[in-house]
Amino acid sequence: MSQFLQVLLSGLATGSIYALVAIGFTLVWQAAQTVNFAQGEFVMLPAFFVLIGMSVFGMPLWIALIFGLAISIVVLGVLFKKMIVEPILPHGGITLIIATMALGILLKESVKEFYSAEAQPFPSLFPGDPINVFGAVLSLQDVFNLVISLGIVVLLTLFLNRTRTGRCMQATAQNPAVAEILGVNVKRMILYTFLINAALAALASFLITPVYLAKFSNGETLGLIAFIAAIVGGFNQIRGAIAGGLLIGVLDNLTAAYVTAQYRAALPLVLLIVIILVRPQGILGTSEGRTV
Amino acid sequence: MSVPVLSVRNIEKSFGGIRAVRGVTFEVRKGEILGLIGPNGSGKSTLFNCILGQLRPEAGEVEVNGQNVSGMRASDLNRLGVGRTFQQLSVFPKMTVLDNIILAGQEHHGTMLSRLFGPGDAGLTNEAERLISFFRLTHLRDTLAGSLSYGQQKLVDAAMAFMAGPSLVLLDEPAGGVNLTMLANLKERLTAYNAEHGTTFVVIEHNMEFVMSLCTRIIVLAEGGIIAEGKPEEIRANQSVIDAYLGG
Repeated sequence: MSQFLQVLLSGLATGSIYALVAIGFTLVWQAAQTVNFAQGEFVMLPAFFVLIGMSVFGMPLWIALIFGLAISIVVLGVLFKKMIVEPILPHGGITLIIATMALGILLKESVKEFYSAEAQPFPSLFPGDPINVFGAVLSLQDVFNLVISLGIVVLLTLFLNRTRTGRCMQATAQNPAVAEILGVNVKRMILYTFLINAALAALASFLITPVYLAKFSNGETLGLIAFIAAIVGGFNQIRGAIAGGLLIGVLDNLTAAYVTAQYRAALPLVLLIVIILVRPQGILGTSEGRTV
Repeated sequence: MSVPVLSVRNIEKSFGGIRAVRGVTFEVRKGEILGLIGPNGSGKSTLFNCILGQLRPEAGEVEVNGQNVSGMRASDLNRLGVGRTFQQLSVFPKMTVLDNIILAGQEHHGTMLSRLFGPGDAGLTNEAERLISFFRLTHLRDTLAGSLSYGQQKLVDAAMAFMAGPSLVLLDEPAGGVNLTMLANLKERLTAYNAEHGTTFVVIEHNMEFVMSLCTRIIVLAEGGIIAEGKPEEIRANQSVIDAYLGG
């Protein structure tokens, strides 16, 4: 029982980070009706901003984290929207999707070329001491990852549902033309969406990189798993992205512990196929009609 | 004589070689319910969009309460107290009826900080609930707007148009696709609102019965120009209106 609890909690900790990244897919989908295939690289890059802050500018860890967050918001939020999304979106969603794929390759290869091709150690934000939770032995880092990720998700949900700005962001995602007529600053709301996506990616980066080490190729797996998590949960719902992230994190751990560690990487793909066949709108998603 | 709530002067709008609106001029006084009717292609929707700032006319002026609003953006007009309903459904489907109606009024005041940290309802819950009750939607207050029937969504749309305390409301085909019971309810509520608040309405509508029973005055457009103007009973008996509708 304690081993099951241990596997479950550890899966939730990893899954909650997947959820942060998957929410980014949902937010960008709602704001621009497109899929950001550079999302994995958006999680890979902030860790390198922190490392640059520490190694080049000699910042202490916590200052470097704030520096990394700020640079991520500017580069992956403001610049991404102004230089990639705004000029390309009028040419169609598919064009933008291909552009984000190209951006992902550019970011990955740039880090490999200009920083390092080797995995870099990334300082842990929390002590890795084991603690005992109802008989399950967990690392403190897992516990903090779970608490912080879920805390961020709760704050984001409260922001979207309880503040005027959050309501305007929802209105912009649901009916931008009418929102604009009602006085909502639609352009600003879309910018906020991209800023939040960048901040979530940076926070996910800071939480997961101590485990995986900072490497240029980290985004490949993370981006794919989070993309699948968003589809499995329901691509057009934030709660869907959370559910999908947590589900994949837990199933991944359960499979590795009780079935096979060898094929654990295939599990998200199997889950994706099952969901597309059985419930294509995702577990918590809603069907969307399109005129073609 | 008081300043008209809406004054439209010599509006001209063409698409390519087609003159959709030809020098239309009219005024609407406080408390009036004016109907704009005409056969398909008569230019009434184009005129409506010129008044609402969604199309830019080549010539002419639009004044609201004496203020020139020609070329003003739709959102600025909304802030000035011009409410509108939409031909297509305009609700936010994944938000509750209450949130939809609050949203329609919340962007008229407040700073960036109050938008982030002020009360989530912008202090508008009471006002929104008053309108929900007025339009007999109380039992649907916390229902997601997207799950309502078409007619109920039209009522929510109407309630949203009144949220900013407008002096003028433009209703774009409010009866379109609404069943008879709901239509009677909508007409009765609009008439009651007009009587209670003296709010001025301009209505575009195809449903003749609805227009004739709701409006106090009617303007008939054909081929971009005004061909008749008067009380509903006068319009009903006007031969040029009958000819325009029958293609005579």
